[in-house]
Amino acid sequence: MTKTLEIVWIILVGLTIFAYLLGHLHYINSFFVAILLVTTFIKVQLVLDYFMELKNVTGKYRWIPSIWLSIVMSLIAVAYYLPA
Amino acid sequence: MHNAALKKEPYPPGDFGIWIIIYVELITFGLFFIGYAFSRRANLEMFNHSQLMLETTSGFINTLLLVTSSYFVVKAVTSIQNMTDNRREEFNKKASKWLFLAMIFSAGFLVNKIFEFSHMFGEGLTLSTNKFFMFYFMLTGFHFMHVLLGSIILFNIFQKTRIYGYTIEDHKGIVSGAAYWHMVDFLWIILFPLVYIIR
Repeated sequence: MTKTLEIVWIILVGLTIFAYLLGHLHYINSFFVAILLVTTFIKVQLVLDYFMELKNVTGKYRWIPSIWLSIVMSLIAVAYYLPA
Repeated sequence: MHNAALKKEPYPPGDFGIWIIIYVELITFGLFFIGYAFSRRANLEMFNHSQLMLETTSGFINTLLLVTSSYFVVKAVTSIQNMTDNRREEFNKKASKWLFLAMIFSAGFLVNKIFEFSHMFGEGLTLSTNKFFMFYFMLTGFHFMHVLLGSIILFNIFQKTRIYGYTIEDHKGIVSGAAYWHMVDFLWIILFPLVYIIR
């Protein structure tokens, strides 16, 4: 379990560095925005599952934050990609 | 993490009251995030232009600080959950060391954010500059208040570990405080790319 937490932390830091480099080097286009949204979803889900220990919870209490996350990230994507 | 790794729990860890607060915060911040995304859509050029004035490196450093402090907090919780009855002092001490590190990183976030805000105000940027900065100051300012409250919670938990106050039977306090801190962390994980990076 200890190693799992370290791996989760490394993934979170790695994906944060990736996001920063995209922004810093101005590599932001529609494709990379999709990648950013997916990696942000993964990061939050990792925090929910491993740091908040929701992976050990059964039923609706495990899924409420994940459903919230799916709705928020989907609507952000809709606002970005929907043609004007 | 402890016995729960083998058996699923019917309720989320910690006091259920903290989860009610977390759900309310999720709705509030969720509406802010969605509001930002759709306002940006309606004012694309202005949002993209204004975003260039943000200090992305400062936001990046703050993300690393929060993610790492969250890791320290979960290590503190694990220390308490792995406690054996006859080694209460040892495990509380271990938890207090992790919490101390978490508090240093949370203070780093707050100081860095104050510098960022003062730089923005120095540039003459305020809530009323335009819609982008209205969202920027409201979202990051509101989040700052949550980090501040989270830091106070961490300090209280830290104090309790210093008097060896958590036992294997009674440690809901540290788990509840940790849940709040992780929420503050993941809200920033969304806020950073949304406001600082995506254009």
